[in-house]
Amino acid sequence: MTDIPPEDDANALAGELALRVLSPEEERAARARQASDPAFAAEVETWNEHLAGFIAEIPSVQPSARVWPRVEASISPAANDNRAGFWRMWALGSTGLLAASLVAVAVLVARPAPAPIVQTAPAGGVTRVATISMTEGGAPVVALAYDTVTGNLFIAPTKAMDTTSAVPHLWLVKPDGAGVQLIGAIDGSAASHHQLRDALASTAGQAVAVAISMEAPGHEPAADKPDGPVVATGELQAL
Amino acid sequence: MTPMLTRDELAVALGQAGDGNRAAFKTVYDATSAKLMGVCLRILSDRQLAEDVLQDTYLTVWRKASTFDPSRASPITWLVTIARNRSIDRLRSGAPMRRTSPVEDAHDLADAAPLASDVIETTDEASRLNACLDTLEDKVRGVIRTAFMDGVTYDALATRENVPLGTMKSWIRRGLLRLRSCLES
Repeated sequence: MTDIPPEDDANALAGELALRVLSPEEERAARARQASDPAFAAEVETWNEHLAGFIAEIPSVQPSARVWPRVEASISPAANDNRAGFWRMWALGSTGLLAASLVAVAVLVARPAPAPIVQTAPAGGVTRVATISMTEGGAPVVALAYDTVTGNLFIAPTKAMDTTSAVPHLWLVKPDGAGVQLIGAIDGSAASHHQLRDALASTAGQAVAVAISMEAPGHEPAADKPDGPVVATGELQAL
Repeated sequence: MTPMLTRDELAVALGQAGDGNRAAFKTVYDATSAKLMGVCLRILSDRQLAEDVLQDTYLTVWRKASTFDPSRASPITWLVTIARNRSIDRLRSGAPMRRTSPVEDAHDLADAAPLASDVIETTDEASRLNACLDTLEDKVRGVIRTAFMDGVTYDALATRENVPLGTMKSWIRRGLLRLRSCLES
């Protein structure tokens, strides 16, 4: 809209995002800005408050009695210790693994990746790194490096994981306790390369941590919740 | 049933839920689930689907409760925003059968009796918003309202109103900016 002054653009965009009228592409871009620009994120929150006035017009409807037991089951201590409690812990604090991560990247860089991939990888720089360590015992198991420019994700196990009875799956932990996003199964015994695209690449650029769950062979968990135990985690650090 | 909580009581319960207090979380659920169900059902027009999204919404609430900041958001707005965004995500995920019949049909299926939780502190926001909406042209007020209530995109709104996409964007953007200056004056 050329007839709207530029200083109003961000304000209107925040309103459009809160209202959810943007196309999927526009919305993705606006969400990325929301995640990286605190002033813009605050604008979106302000719009949510303003638009909340509409809520009064929506009649309440009692949900069926089935819903609460299902909610309760999904936050039960058993489920919680393994998943939500873990993510909650990550949302609340971090453990400062930068030094370990830097060492791990040195290891990673020294370790030759499969040649064809490296040769065809677009130009870019490794900008986020993590050392993933076992939650029990703290032994490092995987070094990870992610290039936010190209979406290249390099994963190097620092020692072979026991994959005889379960398959390691890699997860992104989103900021602000917004849950997790599955990247996929990883090779627990050899260095590998993944190309992240679109929404996944954007999520990886904003994630605060990574984690590994062990899933039953042949089982693919939902994209936002591991089914198997979370065995290892690492904080994602900007280089 | 549905106990009535003040905004402050709800904020406190949500904060306690953020500390892992399940009883407080149940209090939040009891006080707000009918309102959030109304929001989900309004957007999804399918009771089963709305309950699935409602369940998912409260799981998100449980996980994110520790990030709720009562100095920045009212608790009911924070909760409704999650429910509405989840519902819209579900609506746009491709799968659901968007019914073309009026949403009132869906409400007929449900117990639509007014609930005490309707009283939760939305009246101030509502009267301010309505006063400012009244300063907009009828058509602009109408499409902004539809966008919020039905969770539809510019594209869908332009089709519904039978105007070019650019026209719809212009209406809403100008309307939002005018609303904003009215609401903050």
